[in-house]
Amino acid sequence: MTTRPARRARLRLCLFLAGLLCGPAATIAATPAVEPDRAAAYAAAFSTAALTPEVQRKWARSCALCHVRGEGGAPRMGDSAAWQPRLAQGDAVLMVNTLEGLERMPPLGYCMDCELGDFAAMIQLMVGRR
Amino acid sequence: MKPLSRREFVAGAALAALAAAPHRLHAAPAATPWRNWSGNLVAHPAGRLAPRDEDELVTMLRRTSGPLRPVGAGHSFSPLVPTDGHLVVLSEFTGLVRTDPQAMTAELMAGTRLSDAGRLLHAAGQAMFNLPDIDRQTLAGAIATSTHGTGVNLKSLSGYVTALRLVTPAGQVLDLSAERDPDTFHAACVSLGALGIVTRITLRNRPPFRLQTRFSVAKTEEIIDCLEACAADYRHFDLMPFLHGDYALVTAQRETDDPAVPTTAADDDAGFIELVKLIDRTPVAERRALINSAVSGMAPGESVDWSFDALTNFRFDRFNEMEYSVPADAGPACLREILQAVASDGIEVAIPLEYRTVAADEAWLSMYHGGPRVAISVHRLAQHDFRPLFTRVEPIFWKYEGRPHWGKVHSLGYDRLSALYPRLGDFVALQESLDPRGRMLNDHLRRMLGK
Ligand SMILES: Cc1cc2nc3c(=O)[nH]c(=O)nc-3n(C[C@H](O)[C@H](O)[C@H](O)COP(=O)(O)OP(=O)(O)OC[C@H]3O[C@@H](n4cnc5c(N)ncnc54)[C@H](O)[C@@H]3O)c2cc1C
Repeated sequence: MTTRPARRARLRLCLFLAGLLCGPAATIAATPAVEPDRAAAYAAAFSTAALTPEVQRKWARSCALCHVRGEGGAPRMGDSAAWQPRLAQGDAVLMVNTLEGLERMPPLGYCMDCELGDFAAMIQLMVGRR
Repeated sequence: MKPLSRREFVAGAALAALAAAPHRLHAAPAATPWRNWSGNLVAHPAGRLAPRDEDELVTMLRRTSGPLRPVGAGHSFSPLVPTDGHLVVLSEFTGLVRTDPQAMTAELMAGTRLSDAGRLLHAAGQAMFNLPDIDRQTLAGAIATSTHGTGVNLKSLSGYVTALRLVTPAGQVLDLSAERDPDTFHAACVSLGALGIVTRITLRNRPPFRLQTRFSVAKTEEIIDCLEACAADYRHFDLMPFLHGDYALVTAQRETDDPAVPTTAADDDAGFIELVKLIDRTPVAERRALINSAVSGMAPGESVDWSFDALTNFRFDRFNEMEYSVPADAGPACLREILQAVASDGIEVAIPLEYRTVAADEAWLSMYHGGPRVAISVHRLAQHDFRPLFTRVEPIFWKYEGRPHWGKVHSLGYDRLSALYPRLGDFVALQESLDPRGRMLNDHLRRMLGK
């Protein structure tokens, strides 16, 4: 489905909808509860996560598609103000959002061959912990 | 309410399995789950095989046993990919292998995303004839389901494949083309990932070109009256009629020598997306007034871009989609019936329909095998249950001999599919010969292939 027609009409629509609707695309969802067994698995992944060259390659062909230029409202890598409220929700929630998708980010953030450890390392990279 | 026919009942059960809860195979919380783009499918694969090259792929296939499912970018809405065996991911199989400027062909690695293919080919003096609405899919994933764009004279991506390399589940490497092994080639051009792993794809292309895109708004009834002529007037013609409204968005594209006018910022589709969300929040009974005033007032627009930028756009909130392709001359009647049924039943839906034209090709399982068709798609935002909409619309598609898009939600099994796809029986026989142990099958494929 193409949304390109709207590209040309955006200004007109924004006027029509009078600012009410043209606010920022991304909102921060309420913190979901993560079951204990899943939280433990995610914590283990974060504690052993390593930013190997292979993980960097995976990052470049998945997360980077949106998080470098901020496509679709994605928080940009290194934008600490944008990441702060997300970080405050905790690592487990960041992992759930990555695995299940959030807003316009699809589940697994475009990485079909990533395992939990890869996601943990890539999250750490993007939020500026590495 | 009229009683359900047996087929409608079975179809309802099949759609329910895709929608009620994500499609779970088994719960294994510690493993890395797999989910598709819209999130309606979830699987817990035993592992992921991500070979670095063809030799490693062959070794992996020979050393492992058990189910295998290739995955591209996970953009299919139908459960082609879910497995509790191994996913095969060709993320290392990317890039342009070679071009032939005389023949205007290019060999690409099968895991290349369409977005990368566009730029790589452009640099090499080539362009794909057509593209789908978005370009995040992999080349192999896109051709496996006969992914298409729009254009009366333009085929689905599978129709431009001139050769491909298929590694069978037993690890045998087959180089296929219409000259070498026509049957296996025409089956492998739309393979549903059931024949083995495609590692390289050669496409017939053309020199790079720019498109002038004209966006406008039209009264749906008026544009349906001239659909055939209007669509034939342009290289690409895309119609998006609002349900519960009297207007449609029209995108018409022609080739041009004018210079490209650079496109704008990342969030420039926000207006359309927010309009859809507003429609979604508005009670059905009040939507017509909202849609008619918002859409009828939209200003027409124009832009010029290189083909790969002009044809694709990936930014939209997640949704689920059903799409059937009906014979070209049945398109307007089918479209009218859907609009009428959804309106009279007051069915919830905010995203417009999409109506596109596609030329015939020869791939056995292409929706366009045997003649041109029009593809009509219905979408439901991912956070909503799609069943009320899809179960109402699907029987209308059947009435017009619609063929389901393999990558989108549908409820058909072998009996019905074999009546729609004359080569399905041949495909099943070939599948059995290449994969006698059925490693490449999951439940969804078994149901569609009559196993
Ligand atoms: C937002 C969105 C927009 C879309 N727009 C369009 C559109 O405009 N037109 C259209 O026709 N469709 C469209 N689709 C559907 C989509 O193009 C198809 O479902 C396509 O098959 C997805 O490609 P993928 O790379 O994500 O593959 P997947 O969905 O991961 O897999 C699709 C099939 O390909 C097989 N496969 C993947 N890799 C290989 C391989 N290497 N060898 C053998 N088999 C393989 C899989 O097993 C599976 O059967 C859209 C989907 C979405 C989510």
